[in-house]
Amino acid sequence: MSEWLQQAIARADSIQDGFEDQRATSLALLKDIKWPTRKTEAWKYTPLRAVERSAAIFKEESPELEPVAVEGLEFLELTFVDGQLVSLPEDLPEGLTIEMQESSLFAEIKPERHVFGLVNDVLAADVAVVTVAEGVAIEQLLRINNLLSNGAQGHIRVIVDIKAGASLKVVENAEGQGASLTTAYTEYQIGAEATLEHYRFALQAADNVAIGGCHFKLLESASLNSSIIGFGSDLQRIDTDIIHAGEKADAKLNAIYLLDGKELFDLHANVEHAVPNCTTEENIRGIAGDSSRAVFNGRIHIHRDAQKTLAELNNRNLLMSDKAEINTKPELEIYADDVRCAHGATIAEIDKKALYYLQTRGVSRSQAQLMLSFGFINELIDQMPTAELAEWVRPIIRDRFSQMEVK
Amino acid sequence: MKQANFSKLALKALLVRLRNPLNMSNENTLLSIKDLHASVEEKNILKGLNLDIKPGEVHAIMGPNGAGKSTTGYVLSGRDGYEVDSGSATLDGEDLLEMEVEDRARAGLFLAFQYPVEIPGVSNLEFLKVAVDAQREARGEEALTSAEFLKIAKEACKQVNLPVSFLKRGVNEGFSGGEKKRNEIMQMILLQPKLCILDETDSGLDIDAMQVVANGVNSQRSPERSFIVVTHYQRLLDYIKPDFVHVLADGKIVKSGDASLAKELEAQGYSWLQAEPTEDELED
Repeated sequence: MSEWLQQAIARADSIQDGFEDQRATSLALLKDIKWPTRKTEAWKYTPLRAVERSAAIFKEESPELEPVAVEGLEFLELTFVDGQLVSLPEDLPEGLTIEMQESSLFAEIKPERHVFGLVNDVLAADVAVVTVAEGVAIEQLLRINNLLSNGAQGHIRVIVDIKAGASLKVVENAEGQGASLTTAYTEYQIGAEATLEHYRFALQAADNVAIGGCHFKLLESASLNSSIIGFGSDLQRIDTDIIHAGEKADAKLNAIYLLDGKELFDLHANVEHAVPNCTTEENIRGIAGDSSRAVFNGRIHIHRDAQKTLAELNNRNLLMSDKAEINTKPELEIYADDVRCAHGATIAEIDKKALYYLQTRGVSRSQAQLMLSFGFINELIDQMPTAELAEWVRPIIRDRFSQMEVK
Repeated sequence: MKQANFSKLALKALLVRLRNPLNMSNENTLLSIKDLHASVEEKNILKGLNLDIKPGEVHAIMGPNGAGKSTTGYVLSGRDGYEVDSGSATLDGEDLLEMEVEDRARAGLFLAFQYPVEIPGVSNLEFLKVAVDAQREARGEEALTSAEFLKIAKEACKQVNLPVSFLKRGVNEGFSGGEKKRNEIMQMILLQPKLCILDETDSGLDIDAMQVVANGVNSQRSPERSFIVVTHYQRLLDYIKPDFVHVLADGKIVKSGDASLAKELEAQGYSWLQAEPTEDELED
């Protein structure tokens, strides 16, 4: 067991806040768990050295931090600084409530994969529970800010319950100043005929360690549209789990990663088709430059009863340097016979025909390459349903992209 | 010694003239293709193509499938995999075949594709601006501001009957066949090339769409600008009147004439070409 985990357990053991019982199960599991190594399948390409070496501390007092502004949007802000909830939105629209809850477990997820889910269970101090009442559509976007000051450690957990026929738009925004460490998990239950428009932005400084995930449970005819955009860092790991628990549910996940320097980005996307007639579409695209490393694992598990499932998974990658590395692995486990399921993973080169086409218009080869590489990810930005978010993130991605190109 | 030198030069000049009987003065030629041989994947496609085009002329190249019509455009524009084995091609006296693809475009060559490629994620407007900027830079002109460019891009849209909203979409993304062709013509209008090669721009178009495309092309005809209209069928030439019509078969021009030749071909088809053995076959 790592020293880092021992310290985390010691801290959890020492917390006396009246919720010891709620933490007990996870704490017991954590004490027994094997610290992941290269032999642990779920962490094969993502060494935990950055966690082991992290000097991030739990701060007694944190500076005041403000989340980044997005032109044209006023969010309902739910803000954590260094793991502590510092602000709840004022004047909540009718039908939306936010309460604090003592503890919650990541019960449906395999503990081995989610050693950090367990860490989060025992160390997340403030667990916020967001509820949208039945049939209510919340137009204003709710933003969950996970802000970390320099060198801080923080663990956050948010639970979102969207009742039948309701709809909600959520932005998860992580901003770490540097040398910080966080685990951040969100759990969504999307009720019957309810919809969730979801974003997770992890565009923070490179020397952060950020581990976390999103857990989506979809009931009958529920709909999810999620966009995840991440830069790499010392260690950036996101686990998404989409559970189709009710028939005719529909999930769309687009993810983009853009890596530079020695950054590491790891996305594990798991989809469980437990019932018939559900659809999943996942488009994951990444660009790895310099000596960065991208890890993608896309698992789709179609259970025996999940007939008439439609599932598509596509992961495309561009390598911009000889030293960059991409480890991609789609995994299909299909136990039903009447399903349509497609997957593909490629490490692509730039489309030669498109390159030639641009050049015949006088665009230089190097600029054409740049336009096409950016276009490759911009295509997914174009698909983001809230245009203001797309317009905000596009120049950020473009800037990083042109910096990568210069090297 | 002097005399010997003189006679060598005279002989050279004579040879040039013999190889190039139609073109008396090189200065007045925009495009000059001489004995061009080219291959794709080691298969010879062009087998001695000769063609001279003066400013302002419209040349139609017709011929059966597989004759090398599209290859001509690809070779001139410098597509990867299209190898020039021998011969030359100059644009305004400059050696085209030595240039990079983008430099040929900047020198004034434009190829309107038979199948324009879709590029999702790259907006049409951004692409057009970058292309026009590159063209202007090559001509020593200043780049346009975004507002200036948007204005001329909107005008160009109108000219080819494309909704302005198409500027915001990905390049050719989800465009119908006709819309793609109109987008090609719009690019031509914006880039103001010296020589336009239209590669089967009529294919897949109905009469109305063809008329829009032809009007776009005709609006761009000028004493300085030349066109090569590559087509399998005569009907496009009812709308874009050519000065010369060439029949390309088995990699070389086998017959040239005026617009009436196109009518003749329409009546006869191309079967008469296959009836006569080609020179290569005779040599074999």
